[in-house]
Amino acid sequence: MRLERIFSVARFELLSVVKRWSYLIATFGLPLFLAGVSGTVFGVQTYFLNQRLAESSEFGLVDEAGVVDRSAFEEREGRPTWKAGDSFVLLYEDRGSATQDLESGQLRALYVVQEDYLRTGEVRAIESEKSPLLSSRGTSVEPRLRSLLRKSLVEGHLDGDVQKRVISPASFVRSRLGPDGESVTDVDDALDLLVRTTIPLFLGVLLLTALLSASGYLVQTVATDKESKIVEVLLSSVTPEEILAGKLFGLGAAGLLQFAVWSSMVVFVAIAASAVLAAFVAVPWQALAIAPLLFTLGYLFLGSLMLATAALGANAAESQKLTMGWAMLAILPLMVLVVLLDEPHGLLGQAMTWIPFTSPLTVIIRLAVEPSGIAWWEILGSTVVLVVATWLSIRIGARLFRVGFLLTGSRPSLAELWRQAR
Amino acid sequence: MPARTGTDTAAVTGAFVVQADKLPVVGVLAYRGVSKRFGDHTALEHVSLDVVSGEVFGLLGPNGAGKTTLIRIGLDILRADHGEVSLFGAAPHASTLDRTAYLPEERGVYRRAKVRELLEYLGRLKGLEPRAARAAADTWLERVGLSRVARDRIESLSKGMTQKVQIAACLMTEPELCVLDEPFSGLDPVNVALVTDLIEERRQSGRTTLLSTHMMHQVEALCDRVALIHRGRLVVYGPLDEIRRRYSPHEVLVWTSTDLATLGVRATASKNGGWRVALPPASTPAGYLQELVQRGATIDRYEPLVARMDEIFVNLVDGPR
Repeated sequence: MRLERIFSVARFELLSVVKRWSYLIATFGLPLFLAGVSGTVFGVQTYFLNQRLAESSEFGLVDEAGVVDRSAFEEREGRPTWKAGDSFVLLYEDRGSATQDLESGQLRALYVVQEDYLRTGEVRAIESEKSPLLSSRGTSVEPRLRSLLRKSLVEGHLDGDVQKRVISPASFVRSRLGPDGESVTDVDDALDLLVRTTIPLFLGVLLLTALLSASGYLVQTVATDKESKIVEVLLSSVTPEEILAGKLFGLGAAGLLQFAVWSSMVVFVAIAASAVLAAFVAVPWQALAIAPLLFTLGYLFLGSLMLATAALGANAAESQKLTMGWAMLAILPLMVLVVLLDEPHGLLGQAMTWIPFTSPLTVIIRLAVEPSGIAWWEILGSTVVLVVATWLSIRIGARLFRVGFLLTGSRPSLAELWRQAR
Repeated sequence: MPARTGTDTAAVTGAFVVQADKLPVVGVLAYRGVSKRFGDHTALEHVSLDVVSGEVFGLLGPNGAGKTTLIRIGLDILRADHGEVSLFGAAPHASTLDRTAYLPEERGVYRRAKVRELLEYLGRLKGLEPRAARAAADTWLERVGLSRVARDRIESLSKGMTQKVQIAACLMTEPELCVLDEPFSGLDPVNVALVTDLIEERRQSGRTTLLSTHMMHQVEALCDRVALIHRGRLVVYGPLDEIRRRYSPHEVLVWTSTDLATLGVRATASKNGGWRVALPPASTPAGYLQELVQRGATIDRYEPLVARMDEIFVNLVDGPR
């Protein structure tokens, strides 16, 4: 194969794609749009949160049942006040003045421990009509009030330690059993689960989208060449292998650029997440680092098969249908994602690591979920398998490409294709 | 594959029989016993012929005769099932293909590409350096009168202009062998003349052209030798003049003021004002002219009747009329 011809084809194909509006919008517009939407949502939320905090962080409490432990309250601006986290709970002797302060906006909400509280357990939470957005629900005040009531009820009635345990029954200490034994971890389970599943899922979808997007360009370019009948001119100048390689590299570069732009978003989010949540979560840097290599190999493998198959179609629609099977195989890891996330290094994960169609995505997911669970020789071995499969698919693909490229009438039989591919 | 010396016997039908061992052996493009099937359909059957350096070679035949398949095999776009092909003395290869250019019958361009960019790209694919490709593109756009649309997209051009872009793309590398499949279709008379001149110019400069066309008057005007393929078989092959003579009736056209009947000559009136006279079996046109003069005829004009290529074509493809 002549490199300068491959380069010429690649350059032409790359420029043909990157000059299209659809590509520019998909590559740069989509991340900007998502960033814009996320920024707007974040901004709106922050605005309302700030407003809520600015308006009032004071809550009222009327103890009609007379059960609240007054020792927790301290005098503040002439009123007994209890600091509940970032908020303040002001104790009122009568409901009338408390209601007045709620109406004037001084209080965000008013809690009334009903007279029959001991029998019913009812605490009335009253919010002002004026600020429906500033609901007290979801604030940290209510759990704290609950604790205050619990403490008030048991104070002096129980033994010291029992009283403590009634107030705070359990403090969970997390640990994980690994190859080196049990180790205590600070990782917050909820956050860890979120990051362990969200980032691999996002990265996997991103890799797959970029793969299928680049492969889609391949199918499109072959259909264009066939429909525009320029194929004979090309084949009288360059070999099918050179055309195939040129298209693969050119459109692969377009796909890689798209993937780079998109994944830079993930990197940005990952950096932000690691800065904010460094103490809680582990960002899958290994998966992010190997992603470009796996994208390139996966693309070359899938792309060469798609090119050869697309060439057998009479037009773009038929080419799309013919190549759908390859895309389905590549999507397989996402179809079994729940299993992979739950048991990344189980039998299914290990098996799919060695299948060229599924290995790029599977390796990414396994690395992202639990980097220590995948052995280096698995990564190296599956990469070698992928390289060999890519080489074979390019060789066979080029032969089928020639046959398919010149087809204008009936499609050849499988026997004929096999004869040509050998 | 090395070039064959042409010892095969060509499977040739029709009146004008040619043996492959009598073919010129120094072909720029040579086919020997080439056969090709597509499923149950035989596209070519044991075809042997040579395209010789510096000539304009006409490849003729009705639609579906196998001409395009033969061209594709010669340019290594398709592979023959049987037989051998040599291009510049060797099996067709990427490097020898750089010395050729091809204008296919089914025209193909990237419609969204700009004119000059497309020419540059196709020039690069033929091995031109970027600067040379750009210079050649400019030169040939000038030659075919399309400089003003160099920056336009192909889709904005008329059919004839697009056709000229493709011809420019084909000729811009000054290929040693240029294969033109129906280069005149879609062109107005002015541009037919332009393309005719370009082909003639190639002949003058010693370059080879393989011309496939249904326009028989262009064949007569341009071709040195021709081959006619019918149903995948080579029917006629040889020098154009020889073929035309071979298929011509043994008759002459005579313009005379003498009443030929008084000389005992049977003549029928021709459309162009002359008399059509059948030659005696043993006579040659020159000898018969001498005989007529000796018998006292006053001859104004005298022409041997030569068959036109379209007549020969129809005769061989559709049977005598």
